[in-house]
Amino acid sequence: LTCHRPVLVEKPIPIEFDMGNLCAFDTNPLDPTTYSNSLEGCLNDAARDCAQALINQVLTTLPMKSASDGVYVELPDPVTPLPREKPLPRAKEPTKWFLFAKKKGIKSKTKDGKLVYDEEKGEWVPKWGYKGKNKDSEGDWIVEVDGKREEKDDDKNPRVLSREERKDRIKKNERQMKKNEKR
Amino acid sequence: MIRTAKPRNARSKRALEAREPKLVENRKSTLFLSGTSTSDLSRSAMTDIHSLKKPDAIKFTKKNSIHPFEDATPLEFFSSKNDASFLVFASHSKKRPHNLTFARTFDHRILDMLELGIDESTFRPLTFFKTSKPGIGMKPLLSFSGAIFDSVPDYQLFKSMFLDFFRGETVNSINVEGLQYMIHFSASEPTEKGPTPAIHMRVHLIKTLKSGQKLPRVEVEEMGPRMDFKVRRVQEPDEAMMKEALKKPRASEARSRKNIETDIIGDKIGRIHTGRQDLSKMQSRKMKGLKRRPTEDTDGEVTPVDGDEDNGAKKARLA
Repeated sequence: LTCHRPVLVEKPIPIEFDMGNLCAFDTNPLDPTTYSNSLEGCLNDAARDCAQALINQVLTTLPMKSASDGVYVELPDPVTPLPREKPLPRAKEPTKWFLFAKKKGIKSKTKDGKLVYDEEKGEWVPKWGYKGKNKDSEGDWIVEVDGKREEKDDDKNPRVLSREERKDRIKKNERQMKKNEKR
Repeated sequence: MIRTAKPRNARSKRALEAREPKLVENRKSTLFLSGTSTSDLSRSAMTDIHSLKKPDAIKFTKKNSIHPFEDATPLEFFSSKNDASFLVFASHSKKRPHNLTFARTFDHRILDMLELGIDESTFRPLTFFKTSKPGIGMKPLLSFSGAIFDSVPDYQLFKSMFLDFFRGETVNSINVEGLQYMIHFSASEPTEKGPTPAIHMRVHLIKTLKSGQKLPRVEVEEMGPRMDFKVRRVQEPDEAMMKEALKKPRASEARSRKNIETDIIGDKIGRIHTGRQDLSKMQSRKMKGLKRRPTEDTDGEVTPVDGDEDNGAKKARLA
């Protein structure tokens, strides 16, 4: 008759629980006589008691929710302090530009979009990238020679200068982004 | 620390980001590997534990010449390459037969290590128990029987390590159907003759039966594996590292609501702080009869007044 079998677990030292980890800590010592006579029986009894205590704890103390795919119990936060596997994430330091922009009140221009109205052509052209407006001066058939540079006697072809300046700017930007990553 | 190549596409970038430290961490992954010589028993034990830890487990097949307690750097290397924070190393030698070394890492550096010897005579693998096995990735119930797990430092480390090892994912809610099995660790009390008692690990399936009462009758059926451990060498964690590993993020601290308490009955009681009252300006019940009147008696005798005067006035109003 199953109705005679006890469902409560009474122990001299009450069992402690960490329901967040579904764990029971039973500090009662194992019965020495059964331990030496029938080890598996002794351990089986201890295990059954712990299991019963845990199920009782789940059904009595934890709030239950009925969902379409079964009954759920809400678990509390774990109590036992256990070490993390990785250190806590460090907050990213704001970059020099970010602080400067915040101070000056400069806002990002990404919302304006990539297209710019070109008066001459009378249509919207991209500001940068493929067929961008910033590359127009690089294809000019007439290039103004800078007087000062002629005097310095640079070997560089004045036609290529504009393109080189743009490439240098790009490289500088990449260098600064790498520096920011390291911080 | 091995720095991986910069991600070349979005998929590898996502994989790298998954490995970064986070506020709420991923499930801890375990790496299983063998030493230069292993016994059938130690390999079988490792396979069984590996099946309990699926899907968060990686198993290496090759033999590795590693001696964890002498130099654990290869373990740290494996940990960082495979993003595994637990390592289980199986080995066998004459001095330490059927040996399993459990290691925990923090930031891919060894936090603590525990060397356990499996008792040959009592070991029973998963295949020995002809029962159904629980689904992969189920969260187990855990229990520790015996006072030694709170008193002796080595056993306290065992408890912490194995609680962390087997607990699985930390979830907010769980389906009752998912409470399928329980892993039970027990040890007898330390005595003069036996200061380091064996730790018994038994894994049971949970069966609930009708009891005629609200709570069910719980029965356990052993499903394996069955292992008895003898604690061998232990490497305690470095205090500073452990302290950092136990740090909790500030955001997760529950904001304590001040001035609100729940008394023993369960009623919520709040405390409202009002300012100080200026008693001189307080409106009180006026007892016209008690008002100071210029009397004929100059020695300050107060003329007795009929106290019912006020009540009479009140009664008149009520009527």
